[in-house]
Amino acid sequence: MPNPALIIQAPRAICTPGVHIFVVSVTGRDRLRESKIEFEFDFGSLIAMTKTLRTVLVALAALCVCAVASGEGQTTDLVVWGMQLGPNDQGMDAVIRRFEESHPGVTVHMLGMGAGRMNPQKLMTAIVGGVPPDIVLQDRFSVPDWAHLGAFEPLDDLISRDEGKDANTPTAEQYYPAPWSECHYEGHQYGIPWMADTRILYWNRAVFRQKANDLRKAGLDPDRAPRTWSELLAYSKVLTEFNPDGTLKRAGFMPNFGNSWLYLYAFQNEASFMSPDGKTCTLNTPASREALQFMYDGYQICGGYANAEKFRASLRGNESDPFFTGQVAMKIDGDWIMPGFILYAPKLDFGVAPPPIPDDRYYKRGRFKDVKDRYITWTGGFCWAIPKGARHRDLAWEFIKHVTSTKMRMLEMSTFAGIERERGRPYVPRPTAQIETNKEEIAAFMPKTGNMRAASQLHIAMMPVARFRPSTFAGQRLWDEHVRATDMALLNVMSINDALQSGQDRVQDYLDEVNNRDSLPVADLTIPSVVGGAGFLLGVVLLIGWYKRQRLGKLARHEAKWGLIFVAPWVFGFVVLTLGPMLASLYLSFTQYNIFDAPHWTGMTNYTTMFGKDRELITKSFMNVLYLGGVGVPLGLVTGLATAMLLNAGVRGLRYYRTLFYLPNVVPGIASIILWLWILNADPSRGMMNWVWQHTLTQWFGTLPPAWIASEAWAKPALITMGLWGAAGGMILWLAGLKGIPNQLYEAASIDGASAIQQFWSITVPQLSPLIFFQTIIGGIGVLQTFDNVYVALNGQGTGPNDSLLVPVYYLFQHAFYYFKLGYASAIAWMIFLIALVVTGLQFLVAKKWVHYEVDS
Amino acid sequence: MSARWLFVVGTFLSWAGWIALGRGAYVALRLWIAQETGTEARKKRTIVSSAAVAAVCLLLAEFIPMSSGRPQGGGWGVPLVWFLMPFTMVGALGCAAFAVVRLVQAVTAITAEERKAKIGSLVVWVVVGGLFVWWFVHSKGEVQVFRGVVSVTPVKLLVTVLFAFVAVAVMVWSERLARARGLVKKAVIHVVLIAGCIVFGVPFAWLLVTSFKEENDISTAQGMVWVPRVQLTVPFYDKKEPLYTATFRGRGVRGKVAKVLSGDQVLFEVERPFNIRGREFETDRNSLTEIPRQGRVVSFEQNGKKVQGYVIEDVDNGDVIVKVQSPPALKGQEIKKSLLDTEPVRKIGLRTANYSEMLEWLPYDTFYGFAYLKNTLVLVVMSVLGSVLSALVVGYGFSRLRFPGREKLFAVMLSTLMLPAAVTMLPTFLIFKYLGWIDTLYPLWVPTFFASAFNVFLLRQFFKTIPMELEDASKIDGCSYVRTLYQVMVPQIQPVLACIAIWTFMAQWNNFMGPLIYISTPEKMPIAYALQMFQGERGGEFALMMSFATLATIPTVLLFFFAQRYFIEGVQLTGLGGR
Repeated sequence: MPNPALIIQAPRAICTPGVHIFVVSVTGRDRLRESKIEFEFDFGSLIAMTKTLRTVLVALAALCVCAVASGEGQTTDLVVWGMQLGPNDQGMDAVIRRFEESHPGVTVHMLGMGAGRMNPQKLMTAIVGGVPPDIVLQDRFSVPDWAHLGAFEPLDDLISRDEGKDANTPTAEQYYPAPWSECHYEGHQYGIPWMADTRILYWNRAVFRQKANDLRKAGLDPDRAPRTWSELLAYSKVLTEFNPDGTLKRAGFMPNFGNSWLYLYAFQNEASFMSPDGKTCTLNTPASREALQFMYDGYQICGGYANAEKFRASLRGNESDPFFTGQVAMKIDGDWIMPGFILYAPKLDFGVAPPPIPDDRYYKRGRFKDVKDRYITWTGGFCWAIPKGARHRDLAWEFIKHVTSTKMRMLEMSTFAGIERERGRPYVPRPTAQIETNKEEIAAFMPKTGNMRAASQLHIAMMPVARFRPSTFAGQRLWDEHVRATDMALLNVMSINDALQSGQDRVQDYLDEVNNRDSLPVADLTIPSVVGGAGFLLGVVLLIGWYKRQRLGKLARHEAKWGLIFVAPWVFGFVVLTLGPMLASLYLSFTQYNIFDAPHWTGMTNYTTMFGKDRELITKSFMNVLYLGGVGVPLGLVTGLATAMLLNAGVRGLRYYRTLFYLPNVVPGIASIILWLWILNADPSRGMMNWVWQHTLTQWFGTLPPAWIASEAWAKPALITMGLWGAAGGMILWLAGLKGIPNQLYEAASIDGASAIQQFWSITVPQLSPLIFFQTIIGGIGVLQTFDNVYVALNGQGTGPNDSLLVPVYYLFQHAFYYFKLGYASAIAWMIFLIALVVTGLQFLVAKKWVHYEVDS
Repeated sequence: MSARWLFVVGTFLSWAGWIALGRGAYVALRLWIAQETGTEARKKRTIVSSAAVAAVCLLLAEFIPMSSGRPQGGGWGVPLVWFLMPFTMVGALGCAAFAVVRLVQAVTAITAEERKAKIGSLVVWVVVGGLFVWWFVHSKGEVQVFRGVVSVTPVKLLVTVLFAFVAVAVMVWSERLARARGLVKKAVIHVVLIAGCIVFGVPFAWLLVTSFKEENDISTAQGMVWVPRVQLTVPFYDKKEPLYTATFRGRGVRGKVAKVLSGDQVLFEVERPFNIRGREFETDRNSLTEIPRQGRVVSFEQNGKKVQGYVIEDVDNGDVIVKVQSPPALKGQEIKKSLLDTEPVRKIGLRTANYSEMLEWLPYDTFYGFAYLKNTLVLVVMSVLGSVLSALVVGYGFSRLRFPGREKLFAVMLSTLMLPAAVTMLPTFLIFKYLGWIDTLYPLWVPTFFASAFNVFLLRQFFKTIPMELEDASKIDGCSYVRTLYQVMVPQIQPVLACIAIWTFMAQWNNFMGPLIYISTPEKMPIAYALQMFQGERGGEFALMMSFATLATIPTVLLFFFAQRYFIEGVQLTGLGGR
């Protein structure tokens, strides 16, 4: 334990009520051998400027000390990723505190990090870089992805070691089959399930009652929920209402609102996306086509998917959740929404039912004659896993056993239930992956009556009949492709068959590629490195020889020596950080490389894929860039030039205008994107742009404001708008260019009677043409590398509606860090490079025609 | 012809008519007020022709049946059309326009040579336009025509006409007084520039205003809130749930006693900072100091009278208990009210608490975001140092010292300017992984010590302007090259070095992709990446996000104001203006 031998408490100011405290303390540990500086800084409110200033100064001082003196405590830090303790996690906090108590000297750090969710990039770089967390809380379906790469530790040896000795040891019998097998891959257990969720149908009784007559007229019972797909559609048809302009007023049922995806409907229709042996992807089967057709029909009732998405984008959460307000009459959603019901709509009159199933399944006809479970659902959830290279493996295992034990799960729940009860709210049990825990929590916490009881009971009761996503290393890929296929089909871009087939093909390629990898030769690095090294040495020797042969005098030799010394840093950097990586990248582009294993030689496969099966997406990504550049770059040039010409007319206050117009350029890129995402918010009561739109264009033309980033047609214009904000700053450059044009030219032209427009085209433009040329090239190369704004706008997930924001560098990034296909990513990198070369080369070629250079310069 | 195209034609005609009428009126006004001599005849001709054109257009427009397809509002409808088309069609139309111009030029060309040139150009435009049309058809584009109507009431119209008349009259009048031509033009330019400043400044203002807004002002149906208001609060000592400060792991926290354990030991529950909110720990009761809570001031109706007080407790069923402040008769009473019946009392002001709350949400180990600042500073300082030093040395070597192969090497360096960074991204990642530099700042700043081609190019251009004699003199004095560089050259090229420093500063302050790939621990992140992480985690809370964005922006804006000269010179030197 730390031994506070020395505690200096520098300015400890406890301020008057309202303003808060800051404490700077220097805590010496272990007799000055290590010192740790911590400071406390709480703004409270910025009442007195002097105090703030003092605080800032002290904080900065502390910061400096911080930077100088750093030391490790004697405690062991157990780092857990995938969960950040929020205000409602007192239960988990209690569990962790118990662990820290029983393991003195251990501090548990819980970090969100986006790990475990849909963003695998952080976890991948951390594992590869040798700095992984000790434990991750991982989305179960993606566990096989990692297991297959050897990035997670199998837990079997730990389980068999402790089985029987430690009562807390998790074993298969304690868990429902679905969550347990979901993190089972190729005979090994890679994760211990923790939370589990199930999806059921929620229906708003009030809306049903309100439309009772209409429902009865349609032959439907307003007092119960639909049971089959066709019933669901029939109910939805009656309950859906439109505004006069065709937008939705109320959606009866939107198939993918809430949480169901294609997976749930496909499971219900007994489709499975993978063959049992895990070698074939079966995304496109009659059963899944039917399921997608059902979703399509569901959206048709809402006026089409685009219309429904527009409606969805305008919806809000919390108290004004559309299900609470009756804007959505039915939805299929998971148990995680129950706390929201208690919090925001405790008096809501709603009902629950198992998710409606295909009619044949309900009536046990046709191919469903012998199906055992009538109603089924889909379960997902999280599990605890230990990444490869974790520094405290045994401790991590202890932690996992601790947090998954029934006792601790009950502690977690009872702590939170106590808090909820103090707040006057009921606590409603939610399903867990563990059978025993579910039993105990039902006994302890199940409310006696009410809607929440029904919901909670149904959620837990569905657990044994829950299906799970196939356990395959292509899980992430399958997920992404299924989302893309669903989008494409619902947006009417492709037929259902084509959409599913293209998704299936892409997943299948990935499966084949990985399955065939072992038959491919390991890319032996010795030959290329020997050849490369020899070539390099030969080159160096030749260079030295050539250098020696130069006939230089003594002074010149001295000068040359120093010259070489001076340029050496760049030469070194060029060889190591540019030339070497370029060649390596070229080499990697002919291999299959997942960074965990050695690269395998595949010859031209990456390139044939790029021009063959993947051509559509590659083309799309470059077309998107062409759009961004083709519209954005000229618009940017024109904006800058126009501003400069106005300023060049000899107005006063040039300096002030110049400062103001340049200012947007100094806003950091990410801050400016985030600001613009806020301005372009789809909801006119929040987004400034759409508010203006609603008060002008909507009133004049009746056109509704677009959803910007969330809509296919407006996503790219949104990015261009963001970019244009800084474009007026370009006038500084144009101003300098304009000042450089000799005035006699204009004078001569005026005397000849040329109009202002003629002067512009015949004098200004040719004189500025070198600058225009340079700006187009710089702008073109810049646009080709678009990444930051796309990543931030999409939060690193997906590629925008109908791939409308897919750009090459982002695509490369996805392949390298999401799908672990570094070989293919390298091929894309070379493609980008070649296209940059071609575009620049073309520009230089065309430039000869129109760029005007003064003769002598 | 369909109703849609009739509407389009009618709209164009009526606008042409109005513009012609306006032009005629303007010329007449000038003729009347400015009394410029010598051009009366021409002006009168203009007036007559404008009037004629206006009459024809307006009459024609009047006879075209126009329907916007929508119910018309009150007043008199001014037709508007708006074409929504994919950029392919815009490109095609642009090409068509250029082709027509070239065609006219070809027809009117004097020499055969000129005609040939114009026809050549015409062919190019037609081909490019054809490509656009092909793309338009291929991508299944469509041109949408929106028919719109702006309703103009007589009052609005009168005000507009009066305003325009007065504005023009004032401008023309002042022109006559000053006898200075071009004053009108300048006035117009200023108006346009100021309008531009507003357009480009509004997002800025919106950033700042949002960062000081309360949640109720973020989303409103009434309109955009530009003047934020804050909830009034009254400090009070909470008897039921006293608020204390305590020390948790060496840092001050605020919270309440959740449970009394044994003797002086209590279980303390943290309320602030937010990032450890809800965390409980055991502590000694004597180490706690009570501080007041902030009670929200609300007003409500009680027996027909307006009562004002502050909330001392939020009951979970949605009620609040209010301690009355006014009227004096009820002062001190505690009244239970439904939250919905109370009206928050707010005054115009800035909600600075957004900033502190935002900092409190940042991960605990980042010391309220100071770790971000520290990392960014380390990154920026090291990169600036690296870029300036290496560019100086390498630039000097390339421009002032002769050695065999210099020009070839320089050409290689220039060609790397065209290289997209994506090409070297993955192998560079592998190199830094091999060095064990993942999750450190090294991969982000170490490469700057190997001179960027752009900076070297810049320096070389600048070195060219410095006379060789300076160096020769120092050489004769026996200076070494190193000494010549830092004693003779550095003072000469300081402005460029400053530009390089500022450019590097901005680049690293904005660097996002680097940290995204290399950094995974919150305590090691620089600001730009932390901002994106924050957006991912608390994306719904716009006020907090805008306050983070503002904090991230302040340093660069300050730098801009203090070193504006170098920014401007930098743009002119490098040619990298705008985004």
